[in-house]
Amino acid sequence: MKILIIEDEQGLRENITTYLSGDGNICESCSTLAAAIDKLANYDYDCVLLDIGLPDGEGFAALDYLKNRMKSESVLIISARNSLDDKLKGLNIGADDYLTKPFHLAELKARLVAIYRRKNAGSNNKLIFNEITIDLPGRNVEVNGEPITLTRKEYDMLLYFMANKGRVISKNAIAEHLWGDEMDMHDNFDFIYTHIKNLRKKLLDASCNDYLRSVYGIGYKFMAQ
Amino acid sequence: MKLATHYNRANIIITISVLLIGGIIYYFAINYIANKQIDRELREETEETNDFIAQHHKLPGEYELEDQQTFFNKISKDSLAESYFDTVYKDDGKKCHHGRAEASLVSFNGNNYKATIVISRVNTEDFIQLITLITLALTIGLLVTLFITNRFILNGLWRPFHTTLRDIKAFNVADAKNIEQNKGKVDEFNELNEAVQVMSARVKNDFQHLKQFTENASHEMMTPLAVITSKLDMLIQDETLKSDQLEQLTDIYTATGKLSRLNQSLLLLVKIENNLIKDEEALDLDQMIAEKIRHFHEIIDAKNIHLEKQLNPKKITASRYLTDILLNNLLNNAIRHNIGHGSLAVILTGNLLIFQNSGPSTPLDTTMIFERFRKGQGSEGTGLGLAIVKNICSMYGWKLTYDYNMRMHTFQVEF
Repeated sequence: MKILIIEDEQGLRENITTYLSGDGNICESCSTLAAAIDKLANYDYDCVLLDIGLPDGEGFAALDYLKNRMKSESVLIISARNSLDDKLKGLNIGADDYLTKPFHLAELKARLVAIYRRKNAGSNNKLIFNEITIDLPGRNVEVNGEPITLTRKEYDMLLYFMANKGRVISKNAIAEHLWGDEMDMHDNFDFIYTHIKNLRKKLLDASCNDYLRSVYGIGYKFMAQ
Repeated sequence: MKLATHYNRANIIITISVLLIGGIIYYFAINYIANKQIDRELREETEETNDFIAQHHKLPGEYELEDQQTFFNKISKDSLAESYFDTVYKDDGKKCHHGRAEASLVSFNGNNYKATIVISRVNTEDFIQLITLITLALTIGLLVTLFITNRFILNGLWRPFHTTLRDIKAFNVADAKNIEQNKGKVDEFNELNEAVQVMSARVKNDFQHLKQFTENASHEMMTPLAVITSKLDMLIQDETLKSDQLEQLTDIYTATGKLSRLNQSLLLLVKIENNLIKDEEALDLDQMIAEKIRHFHEIIDAKNIHLEKQLNPKKITASRYLTDILLNNLLNNAIRHNIGHGSLAVILTGNLLIFQNSGPSTPLDTTMIFERFRKGQGSEGTGLGLAIVKNICSMYGWKLTYDYNMRMHTFQVEF
């Protein structure tokens, strides 16, 4: 997937670019609204990551530009403003999702993959990874053609891991993804461990390969062996 | 006591004393003048008697006029000083009145007589009575007039003051409403009103700036926080990091997460106080609570907390976003401050939403718990959760109370 990252904060832009690159993704980035519109005019992208607060204007202008040109890029807004109005405005003028800073890169990737898949898969919206097949609209998971039953949180976690294949994901990022950042985790990640143990057991019971690896002290990694 | 009452009281006391003293002086003055008048009449009578004797060489018979009596008593003294004195006047019906008399020496045929002329004072007394009555009537009239004047005219004069006072009482820095200009006839009150207007505008302005500052500061912090988080996310991809280094990174993650929550909570408080969240809609509260509990059930299970819920259908009109935060914070609190194998009851019945949980064996300080940055010992929260709950409740006019009984902490929201 071809991604354009529009973000003026250099450190953040570089990290997003590095994190999203690989796994078949090509990333380009720019830091101003003018450069963004220039790029959007000349190239086609699959996804656009759009910061609202840009030095030369509000990111909404880029969104308007895409809409007026009938371009089909999926847009994910990243904003420092956790404002309901901004969110509604962005979604109303064609953004696909809205993420508030600060966010985990894993969360960004998962959201990006989700909106891209939602837009580009037809009726047969299936996510296939080796022996694991996930029917996204039906939220069903099959391993080697056999259905397995996952709780809602386990299902969300599996999708999250698969979107961030090969990356170490911190327990904090997992907890925030599953329970939202309003929930205070008070240093206690035991229940995440229990959850992952259950998910892994269900996958292994269905004779799935063990893709989940624990990275001691920090989190987990989902990797193709 | 009101200023007008003070003023009225002083006014009435002074008026009554002045009138009383004035009345007494007046009475004596009139009495004195009346006596002088009678004495003059008496002297005229005496002179007439003397004239009569000189002309007719005989004593006038003892006679009585309508209100005048003359008596002659033979005396042996040669001289008698003329004297005036108060006496009793007996009229025909032998009724007694106050009278005034003059005694003088009359010489006739070598005999000395004491002539006494008595005049009734009935007329004079009637006159004094009339004057007293008029004075009294005037006094009462004056007092009543003063009272009415004070009551109505003064009240009218004070009206601008009361209007301004009411405005000050209703003044709320967070309100958009300003103190109205209120021009009246009284310069002092106009000045007061202007001063209050200027002061409230300045206070509001400062408050707005402060809020703006909080909001801007919080926003500005979000981007650096995003940079830190993303750097951490990249850093942990490094396979060569040792586990104790990764543990340090987890701590940084946790601190960063807390900082960002703190920021978001501050922003939220500003928004609630500014009344910026207005997306009110009809909500099924019972369903929202059930959903919230489902969302957190893994955490409840992990702490082995016994959950009891009783949710009767209840509709409220509020912002979904704020209601979600309210439920989130209350439930979060009840779980976080709970003890292992503790209990948690969520009850929605009638107009009451009750979160009751086991927890520390000391009650919380009810005066402090809803204050910002007040948190229990060992609490890892932001210290803003309950302040936010309180603000949401007061915004919608819901009543939030805390109670501790038998090791159970109860938060109750009354819609």
